[in-house]
Amino acid sequence: MSQFAQVLLSGLSTGSIYALAAIGFTLIWQAAQTVNFAQGEFVMLPAFFVLVAINFLGMPLWLALLFGLLMAVLVLGLLFKKLIVEPMLPKTGLPLIIATMALSILLKESVKEFYGAEAQPFPDILPQQTMNLAGAVISVQDILNLVISITAVVALTLFLNRTITGRSMQATAQNPAVATILGIDTKRMVLYTFLINAGLAALASFLISPLYLAKFSNGETLGVVAFIAAIVGGFNQIRGAIAGGLLIGVLDNLTATYITAEYRAALPLVLLILIILWRPQGLLGTDEGRQV
Amino acid sequence: MNALTPVMSVRGISKQFDAIKAVDDVSFDVYPGEILGLIGPNGSGKSTLFNCILGQLAADRGTVEVGGQAVSNKRSCDLSKLGIGRTFQQLSVFPEMTVLDNIIVAGQEHEGTMISRLFGAPDAGLTEQAEQMIAFFRLSHLRDEQAGSLSYGQQKLVDAAMAFMAGPNIVLLDEPAGGVNLTMLAGLKERLISYNREHATTFVVIEHNMEFVMSLCTRIIVLAEGAIIAEGTPDQIRSNQMVIDAYLGG
Repeated sequence: MSQFAQVLLSGLSTGSIYALAAIGFTLIWQAAQTVNFAQGEFVMLPAFFVLVAINFLGMPLWLALLFGLLMAVLVLGLLFKKLIVEPMLPKTGLPLIIATMALSILLKESVKEFYGAEAQPFPDILPQQTMNLAGAVISVQDILNLVISITAVVALTLFLNRTITGRSMQATAQNPAVATILGIDTKRMVLYTFLINAGLAALASFLISPLYLAKFSNGETLGVVAFIAAIVGGFNQIRGAIAGGLLIGVLDNLTATYITAEYRAALPLVLLILIILWRPQGLLGTDEGRQV
Repeated sequence: MNALTPVMSVRGISKQFDAIKAVDDVSFDVYPGEILGLIGPNGSGKSTLFNCILGQLAADRGTVEVGGQAVSNKRSCDLSKLGIGRTFQQLSVFPEMTVLDNIIVAGQEHEGTMISRLFGAPDAGLTEQAEQMIAFFRLSHLRDEQAGSLSYGQQKLVDAAMAFMAGPNIVLLDEPAGGVNLTMLAGLKERLISYNREHATTFVVIEHNMEFVMSLCTRIIVLAEGAIIAEGTPDQIRSNQMVIDAYLGG
């Protein structure tokens, strides 16, 4: 039982970080009706902004994290939206999706070229102690990862549902033409969405990099898992992305511990196939009708 | 009526799609408090004209003035703040929000500053006004329903309520009667006339339902192949031979 609790908590912790990245897929889908295939690299890159700030600019960790967050919001939020999405937005669909694939390669290869192909140690930002809870050895880092991720998601949900701007963002996602006529600056709302996505990706990066180290290729796995989590949970619902992320994190850990670790990488794909066959809109997603 | 200063002046609007002239040098004035009908066969350029007026389509030529102010170079989202509202031909509610939230969202962009909207109360202090609008359109029993779950006609009423929520001076209604059943249609017309009389709000209405448009509008402009072919009161339009030939039929 104690082992089960440990495995469950660890899975929830990792899953909550996947959920942060998966929410990004949902946000960008709602704002721009596109899939950002560079989302994994969006989670990989902020860790390198922090490492640059520490190793080349001599910043202390707290300032480096702030620098990393600001750079992420600037590069992965503002510049991504202005330079790639906005010029291509009228042509939604395949061209924009291909552009995000190209961006994914560009970011990955740039980090490899400028920082190196080796995995880089990332400073611990959370306590490394363990605590004994009813016989189970619990990692404080796991608990805090989970708490921080859930806090971020709750804050985002409150912002979207309990502020005027949040409601304007929802209106823009649901019907941009009407939102515009009602006076909502939809371009600004879409920009907010991209900035929030970049912030969440940076947070996911800061939480996961101490566990997996910072490496140029981290985005490959993270991007795929977060994409699958968003589909499994329901691509058009934030709550779906959260559920999908947590589910994959927990199942991954349980499978590796109690069944086999050899096929753990295949588990999200099996889950994806089952969900597509059984409930294509995802566990918590809703059907979307589209005019063609 | 023509002695009044127009609330909206459309001058020489033209829009061409490849070889097709969708709107061809259209000019007209809209006067305070009137209900102006824009009618014409399918493809006559009515909705394109609406889209050009509201900047949702860039006109090739021509200007639009509202309240004496040129709006041709304004962003669509800024027109609402100049007192212009619009409904759409297709359903245009926010389907995942309640009826109340739809109507609050329709008015909230006129409240507060950008910063206060970032942190302000979600109803922007508009709940009472939204409740009144819901009651005016007799939607109180649907207040907490998701807008997307309502019938087509009910969504049309929500759409109209949203267009009026920001207190516009002029509202462009694009086929408000389209797909609405007869019972609901009578209610919609009665509500529009009542709102027009109570608030002196000006309407420009595109509509194919001749009975609806003839009984609602005080003046009618007829478009055919993108150009104005007739203008007058409903009675004058009914008896205009050119209109009968081009649109109303024998």
